[in-house]
Amino acid sequence: MNVSFKNVTKSFGSSVVVDDLTLSTEDGEFVVLLGPSGCGKTTTLRMLAGLEDVTSGDILIGAERINNIPTQARDIAMVFQSYALYPHMTIAENIAYPLRVRKTARAEIERRVKQVATMLEIDKLLSRRPRDLSGGERQRVALARAIVRSPKVYLMDEPLSNLDARLRVQMRGELKRLQHELGTTTVYVTHDQAEAMTLAHRVAVMRAGRLQQFDTPMNIYNRPANRFVAEFVGSPSMNFIEGRFRAAERVFTSGNLALPLPDAQIERMNNHERVTLGIRPEHVHVSTMVRDCWTPATVYVTELMGNETFVFLRLPGGEKIIARAGADFRAELEMPAWVRFEMERAAFFDAESGEAINRNPEPR
Amino acid sequence: MKNGGWGSGAGGWGLKYGLAGLAVLSALLPVYWMMTISLKKEVDQFAVPPKWFAFSPTLAHYRDAFVERSFGQYLLTSAIVAVVSTICAIVLGTLAAYALARFRLPHKLNMRLALWILSTRMFPPIVTAVPLFLLMSDVRLLDTRPALIIVYTAFNLPFVVWMMRGFFQEIPRELEEAARVDGDSRLGALRRVILPLVTPGLAATAVFCLIISWNEFLFALTLTQTDAAMTLPVGIAGRVTQYEIEWGVMSAAGVVAMIPILVFALAVQRYLVRGLSLGAVKG
Repeated sequence: MNVSFKNVTKSFGSSVVVDDLTLSTEDGEFVVLLGPSGCGKTTTLRMLAGLEDVTSGDILIGAERINNIPTQARDIAMVFQSYALYPHMTIAENIAYPLRVRKTARAEIERRVKQVATMLEIDKLLSRRPRDLSGGERQRVALARAIVRSPKVYLMDEPLSNLDARLRVQMRGELKRLQHELGTTTVYVTHDQAEAMTLAHRVAVMRAGRLQQFDTPMNIYNRPANRFVAEFVGSPSMNFIEGRFRAAERVFTSGNLALPLPDAQIERMNNHERVTLGIRPEHVHVSTMVRDCWTPATVYVTELMGNETFVFLRLPGGEKIIARAGADFRAELEMPAWVRFEMERAAFFDAESGEAINRNPEPR
Repeated sequence: MKNGGWGSGAGGWGLKYGLAGLAVLSALLPVYWMMTISLKKEVDQFAVPPKWFAFSPTLAHYRDAFVERSFGQYLLTSAIVAVVSTICAIVLGTLAAYALARFRLPHKLNMRLALWILSTRMFPPIVTAVPLFLLMSDVRLLDTRPALIIVYTAFNLPFVVWMMRGFFQEIPRELEEAARVDGDSRLGALRRVILPLVTPGLAATAVFCLIISWNEFLFALTLTQTDAAMTLPVGIAGRVTQYEIEWGVMSAAGVVAMIPILVFALAVQRYLVRGLSLGAVKG
């Protein structure tokens, strides 16, 4: 069932936590709400769950307005960050709870619990209690409790954030498969951009209660709507250089730096003058050998990641930028280096508003 | 340092158990004295030097109290009043505490209401004795068990509300949110998820209420006059007359009064310890 927010606002006293949010999912879509802490993503999810009142606007599941329908009648399932397993019940009782309160027949409960427990490989744990389980196992139980029935929507509030890094990546993959198999609309909240990029059909980036961009992971990454989205998504972060676009010379300048722009970029500049250049580390090429027409820089520090190297550089104007280089890149600190910016992949943002000026054309 | 500080070594062991023994002794000595007096003949009760162990026991005082006089009736009244008022206070107080712990009320009403409730414990109960007497007289409840049940419930309520409010606040909000998302109503979540988790606290609170009601003297004295509604403490005190003090009967009744509370406390001891330390350790 699809979920729609229509001009939804939530305020606590005088502070507006969610500001005029409008967003619609497709049926069966996996939507991730992404943003830093305090951006309103969890409040949005809690409003959808009915755990917070809506100050104004409408929330719909399918065609039904659910603002005034109590949580228990919304037919949703939710996975909490803390898992919220019932400590006094066994794992089987935990998973059976949503069925038990619906007065499902005992035999049917038993069958369904067995089925999901087997699916999530926790069938050996059914008689234990939550406190005897590891974090990863608890996480699976929380998932099992959610999928033991077929609700209209799954809500997930940072379900993987309490797991260690390795387990998180593993569960991320399983979650994606699970959602694919179940085909149920899922709204997932996280501050981890890797989770958002890997799991979502579409990502809604939020900041300070406002929706910044709602688009596919590819478009979020390659065509960020504004500087905030560009900076928040991607690791290491996008490089930003404040400067000017000089239409007459067809260049972007910042101090001594002058970067010629390709025709396609110039066309879309719309006479903006004060702009911020945004370029991802993988679109900055670095060499320790003298190259004609490349920009001279100094190596600040290098970080070998094993499969690649992050090269932190200082430009003559003092700006620090990061470049992604191969694993075999070697350089001493303070060594001179030369960089080339792949300007056809660059993004430009209005220096004042931070809005994207010439969003890259959609990649074919 | 393993097992260091106090209580290490033979000297420490002796000190530790010596002090504990002293505490137990000082607590139990009056109880022991009461029990022996209840079993002694009058001549032995105040013999000098005191007869600690060697006396010929008699059950005469027990027969005197429970057969000749109405202490059986007092015992029944005490039991009814204490149990019913405890149940009332626990049910009402738990619901109130849950509301105060969970609902966000405007104008900081949660804290204010809680403080108002607590404030009813801040004055000495005796100042309400005369008003309550007049009130009960107006509604024709003087010298009845319901009068005592109502008053004890009222005086135990603040205690229950504050204790249970603390226990509820210890329970993560997400647990009942999970229960409601899973399709349960608020009351269903309270019954199936929250109450089982606060049972230890509930048991501890109930024990306190029961003890307070069981031992209450002031209101039982002012609000009752006849055997119809007299409780054990008042009955026992009534054996101090202008002609004599019936130590034997008083002690016998005192011993019997002790037993139900002792049994109940032992029965819920498992919960009691967990209830008193609830929330101290995350688990």
